Amino acid sequence: MNALAVSVALLGLVACATALGLLWRARTGRVRTITSGDATVDVSAIVPDAVAGSNATLLQFSTEVCAPCRATHAILGALAERHNGVAHVDVDITRRADLASRFRLLQSPTTLILDGHGVVRARIGGAPRPAEIAEELGRILGRTTVAARSAAA
Amino acid sequence: MTAREHTTPVPASKAGLIARPGQVGIDPRGPRFGAGITSVLLLVTIGLSLGTAATPPPNIAGRAAQPGFILLAIIAVLFAWGAFAGVQKHPYGRLFAAVVRPRLAAPTHLEDPTPPTFSQGVGLVVSIVGVVLHLVGVPFGLVIPAALAFVAAFLNSIFDYCFGCQIYLLLVRARILGTASTSA
Repeated sequence: MNALAVSVALLGLVACATALGLLWRARTGRVRTITSGDATVDVSAIVPDAVAGSNATLLQFSTEVCAPCRATHAILGALAERHNGVAHVDVDITRRADLASRFRLLQSPTTLILDGHGVVRARIGGAPRPAEIAEELGRILGRTTVAARSAAA
Repeated sequence: MTAREHTTPVPASKAGLIARPGQVGIDPRGPRFGAGITSVLLLVTIGLSLGTAATPPPNIAGRAAQPGFILLAIIAVLFAWGAFAGVQKHPYGRLFAAVVRPRLAAPTHLEDPTPPTFSQGVGLVVSIVGVVLHLVGVPFGLVIPAALAFVAAFLNSIFDYCFGCQIYLLLVRARILGTASTSA
């Protein structure tokens, strides 16, 4: 392999890594609404001392070595505090391979939004975007926010 | 890449990362600075190794004397330093604290050093794989792990991507990690 080919290969590697980074940045933290299926999750069956919210539950899966999990904990905690009947449950899955497999978790943090009946309504991989998750929660709670209306328009 | 950050206020998404009282926090720009140096070194490693990647020297002494191999071995030692001593005691952490940090504005918050220290361990494992495969004489055995490590370090440095957040969970699911205590 000559010097030119090596340079091209290195540039290609940097370009691929940049493309991956941009793709990741565009996708991480996005809310994925779940319409199909009516899988219900019993939060207190997962974590003995956890209590589901009467209107919605923000179910967060974290690991010990995950910086965005701490950020997510703060975002979701504040969100739960602002809404009545919304609980935030942060589950450390470092030693819960059963949960990681059951919910097909591929990254931490992963957040599920459950409605008042425990039905999974949305899934967010990575640190959620505060505005987007607030909007989705509002929709699930049945309160159409201004942001949601403008997004739908 | 690091100078850009101090001008922006701490976003809400970072609030939870603030080191707790009583915990020794680190400047979050430090690990990204270190990852930047690591990614440049890995790129040099790959550049030095690509020429003979398909046809490594026939004997182990010849393979061990190649500059790309020596550089990857040094990178592995640096990863081990970070993984076992912690990122603050790593040479790049010290370099950041001594040279870069004084030129930047004060960090808006301090972060827990555990996640970047785990990432150093991941880097160590990947670079050891490269070192071993190359010594055994596997074609592209050095270049491919080095390229994977480069992508991870590059994404961490430029995009603040957390590689450990993904790999750790896969290790838990594969029952390699986190099976020490019984699950409920």
